[in-house]
Amino acid sequence: MSKSPTFCLARWQHLWLGRMALLVILTAAVWVTTAQAAPDPKAPPQVFVQQVADQLLEVLKKDKSALQQNLGRINEIVDEYVMPYVNFEKTTRLAAGKHWRQATDKQKKELSEAFRNTLVRTYSGALTRVDSGTHMQVLPFRGDENANDVVVQTHVIESTNAQPVRVDYRLEKTPNGWKIYDLNVENVWLIQNYRNQFSDEISRSGIDGLIAALNKRNSSN
Amino acid sequence: MLLSRIRSALVSASCIALAGCAAVGTEPNPVDPWEGTNRKIYAFNDTLDKAVIRPITELYAFMVPQPIRTCIFNAFTNMTEPWVGFNSLLQERGHDAINTWGRFLFNTTMGIGGCIDVASMNGQPRIPNDFGITLGVWGVPSGPYLVLPILGPSTVRDGIGDIANLYGGQLVTIGMINDVPVRNTLWGLEFVSRREALLPVSKMVDNTALDPYSFVRDAYLQRRQAMVRGNLIPTTDNLPEYEDDDFGDDVSEPASTSSEEKSK
Repeated sequence: MSKSPTFCLARWQHLWLGRMALLVILTAAVWVTTAQAAPDPKAPPQVFVQQVADQLLEVLKKDKSALQQNLGRINEIVDEYVMPYVNFEKTTRLAAGKHWRQATDKQKKELSEAFRNTLVRTYSGALTRVDSGTHMQVLPFRGDENANDVVVQTHVIESTNAQPVRVDYRLEKTPNGWKIYDLNVENVWLIQNYRNQFSDEISRSGIDGLIAALNKRNSSN
Repeated sequence: MLLSRIRSALVSASCIALAGCAAVGTEPNPVDPWEGTNRKIYAFNDTLDKAVIRPITELYAFMVPQPIRTCIFNAFTNMTEPWVGFNSLLQERGHDAINTWGRFLFNTTMGIGGCIDVASMNGQPRIPNDFGITLGVWGVPSGPYLVLPILGPSTVRDGIGDIANLYGGQLVTIGMINDVPVRNTLWGLEFVSRREALLPVSKMVDNTALDPYSFVRDAYLQRRQAMVRGNLIPTTDNLPEYEDDDFGDDVSEPASTSSEEKSK
């Protein structure tokens, strides 16, 4: 007797509006989380590295052929999810050292491209051991956050081994945010480790010889 | 006193080694004056590894399930921890020494004879150390790079350090076992287990190195250098300096030489 039809309608509307609002909030939340999943180079360096690693591991763990150690597929994933955040031209330039200046623009481009593939292969090789239990932990940032050249230390923990693998990333600040340009695995820096190989190859057979040697390495498997 | 004695020992050791040394190609690398001989030993090791050691290791990896292999590796590693911790102490890295000995006690008891690395699981990872590093911390220069038959990359200093490591890490542990077959079997198993742990590394070297010899050498020297410096927080002082704007004559040399000079 007290419940008038208008009241019922109002209540129904209220419920319906409530559901709509909930739906909107949920959609927004989903959108926000997917937006957050893409790494943000302008975030603090340690946050950025964690984002890149989390995204990479998530993709790898979902990918059946990557989990079956299909190196070709892992190469593709690294290419898509890591390389956009790497300044491989700088990596190549520093590895070439004094020889970089002698190179023509065409050689610089070819050399960077060849070394880029080597970098992808190096990183992918390490990722063949990723399984569902692998995770990566960024250690507390110990440097100067305002510096333009920083190191982010991480531990990679594999499910088969309790002893973590130490991996450091060296980043530089660019107008577009942080870019990774060097990598340290268990105290071995990547650029440092290619400097002698580069200079030996160049003094033996020139820059073109080095490009050819890198490409030959990359095509063999 | 001690230092000059060690130095003169190093010099005489290098003379002996030099006698069997061949001249090398274009530009001799200052850290690797014996490159010619080293490359020959490297080639020998590589052939032996690919023909015998690696197949045995791969068979082991194929037949023994991963958890058991991990357990065996952990147990052998655990056995050397007292010696590792002692070296930390000699280097005045008391904190590392206490942590390493703590790991040994914890893993030996709770980890069932070191089989399970419970210390790592609880946030205390292993701190690798040995007598070659101790000599380095004391100021002994690494000396030329040296490839040892079967054992692989080393330096004159690390080679001498390995003699002490053999006593401290092996002869007072497995070496104390009187039953010869048991002792030798354990040593064989340890060798295979350690080689197995390095299989992914050799795979990476095979897949990505332009010159595997130089790749292994530079990686070895870099890592040893960093261990002598201690696992410091990376700052601009201890990071590799690549800057390509000002070229001196020594830019292309590895950081190994420069930081060695600094520590003197």
